[in-house]
Amino acid sequence: MIEQAVSAMASVFTDPYLLMLILVTTIGGVIIGALPGLGATTGAALLLPFTLTMDPVAAITVLTTIYVSATFAGSITAILINTPGTAAAAATCLDGFPLAQRGEAGRALGIAVVASTIGGIFSVIVLAIGAPLLARVAYEFRPPEYFALTVFGLSMLASISEGGSVKNLMGGLFGVWLATIGADATTGVERFMFGNYELYQGLNFIPVLVGMFALSELLVQSTRLNQIMEQISMKAVKLPSMADYKKIWKTVLRSCGIGTFIGILPAEGATVASMIGYSEAKRWSKTPEEFGKGAVEGVAGAEAANNAATGGAMVPTMVLGIPGSGTTAVILVGLLVHGLRPGPHLFTEQIDKVYSIFGAMLVANIMFFALGLFAAKLFARVTLVPRGILWPIVFAFSVLGAYSLAQSMIDVYIALAFGVIGYLFRRFGFAIAPVAIGLILGEMVETNLQNSLKMFDGQWWQIPLQPLAAFFLILAVLGISQPYIFSALKRRKDKKQGS
Amino acid sequence: MSTSTESGRAAETPPGAEAETLTPEERGWGDYVVPAVVFVFCGVVSGISLTLEEALPIMVGDSMQPRVFPIFLMALIAVLNVALIVQILGRPLPRRLWEPRQTWVSALLLGVFYLLTEYVDIILALIAVMFTLCLVWGERRLWVAALVAVGTTVAIFFSFDLLLEVRFPRGLFTDWYYG
Repeated sequence: MIEQAVSAMASVFTDPYLLMLILVTTIGGVIIGALPGLGATTGAALLLPFTLTMDPVAAITVLTTIYVSATFAGSITAILINTPGTAAAAATCLDGFPLAQRGEAGRALGIAVVASTIGGIFSVIVLAIGAPLLARVAYEFRPPEYFALTVFGLSMLASISEGGSVKNLMGGLFGVWLATIGADATTGVERFMFGNYELYQGLNFIPVLVGMFALSELLVQSTRLNQIMEQISMKAVKLPSMADYKKIWKTVLRSCGIGTFIGILPAEGATVASMIGYSEAKRWSKTPEEFGKGAVEGVAGAEAANNAATGGAMVPTMVLGIPGSGTTAVILVGLLVHGLRPGPHLFTEQIDKVYSIFGAMLVANIMFFALGLFAAKLFARVTLVPRGILWPIVFAFSVLGAYSLAQSMIDVYIALAFGVIGYLFRRFGFAIAPVAIGLILGEMVETNLQNSLKMFDGQWWQIPLQPLAAFFLILAVLGISQPYIFSALKRRKDKKQGS
Repeated sequence: MSTSTESGRAAETPPGAEAETLTPEERGWGDYVVPAVVFVFCGVVSGISLTLEEALPIMVGDSMQPRVFPIFLMALIAVLNVALIVQILGRPLPRRLWEPRQTWVSALLLGVFYLLTEYVDIILALIAVMFTLCLVWGERRLWVAALVAVGTTVAIFFSFDLLLEVRFPRGLFTDWYYG
């Protein structure tokens, strides 16, 4: 099995088609990541319909390459124009932009490229080693355990960074409700279809994701048309000096661990990872007072963590079918559409495909390193594309992409409707990733609950009496309560310091 | 040197900090609309769920009827909604401004696109809406807007038609193209 896995990973390095595909997609991913508003999730959602005719490995390679390269590229605009290209690069602004203001934009970008690459490669290695180990454990899972696990996944929505915990949980439950639209999987009873038989098999994920991420972003961007951005000029990206390496290596290693761990947690993603990576870098720094004024450790801490989260987030996605982040929710849909049903069996039945995907992620990390180093200046120029040209193009890709899956106009209308719904969610402070994650987990939650009830003759209280299920349910309770625990602890600490 | 903004939209002020100093005139009541809408939504969905067909007991077994799960979800959302109200009461938010004109027009264009696809043609609808979007979003040069609208649509149409073998629904243009 190990030999098979290694040879599948290595095969990517010798496959000219995949290498070319990764190169082209990395360029696309870096452009998508550099454009404020178009992040990894929107990019993956927009490209998903175009992968339908590809073979599964190539299709998932496109999506994962977009994921890793766009996550890195968010740092380009974060450093040069103080606007994170992706939410995961928000922490990079804090020190990256002050460095650029001091005339050290090239140095900041060099550190971001190196830290992101190390973080990304580290997480792919963890993914390649850790995922099959977790898959072995997952073989023991029965419906009660899967039900508890999905509840845990939903509970983790409470702590994702955007929106408040209550709003995130509400969004997640709304997503789960969306998954009930259509015929009930067990009984065939029609729910919330209102006579529309195109909804018999439920809402297609792709139009919902395209609407929620791409079209809602279009409306969000329309509120920012008066925003004026001034770009800081830069000569070239500079590799970190020995002094820089000495200063950041511990931070990078720490952030690799933090990012990968946060990524593995269901629903958490690169944004949370980068925030924690940054704050831990500050906490452990000998010069915390420099943070916010252009500390290189700040850039390294945030960037290593957000790219380390990409591989981490793929672990629950591929092993358990539970998305590790908003973008992996889109990748999960890609896996399902291409007949690669996530779960432990994937690691025995399709091991060559799985490891080819991991190999492609590794290559993508190497490619964005080269592109980031030599072409970041060029990619920074894409931010100069006027919104009035860019977003109408995004609109065209969105509606035709939504249409192409089932070649049904109802999918276009669903995308339009979810564009408006997504905008309203964001307008009132609700994050949209929980809705996407809830939608994807919805069927899993209900089916496993139904099967668990059948297993225990309708005695629902038997579910938390199963040891593994109890473990996940306890984690779920902790997941929901942890934002409150942390804020209470912080208040206590502040009070102590104040007195 | 730096990013400067002068958005037409209200700044998204984090709740809390200045809330205690807000006068009643400055307080935004728009956020109370959300819990109200959520309650109505929960009520409507629960009501519809109650009208759902009952599955045969032999199919359901010891599990639950298809109506139960959505009602359970709505109950959970309603409970969270109460928590949301408590949060809003504790931390009143400043008044939000209305969306700028471009946002309303862009949203309206989504509706126009729906109507045009339904009654005219998806490709022509796309060209018309993209062209208008370009202009609404600040593109002054008509030829650029036209080039973006026609060029992008034609490129995507042919790539879908020839490479992905996607067939578009019948309309004015597609009738002519497909024959």
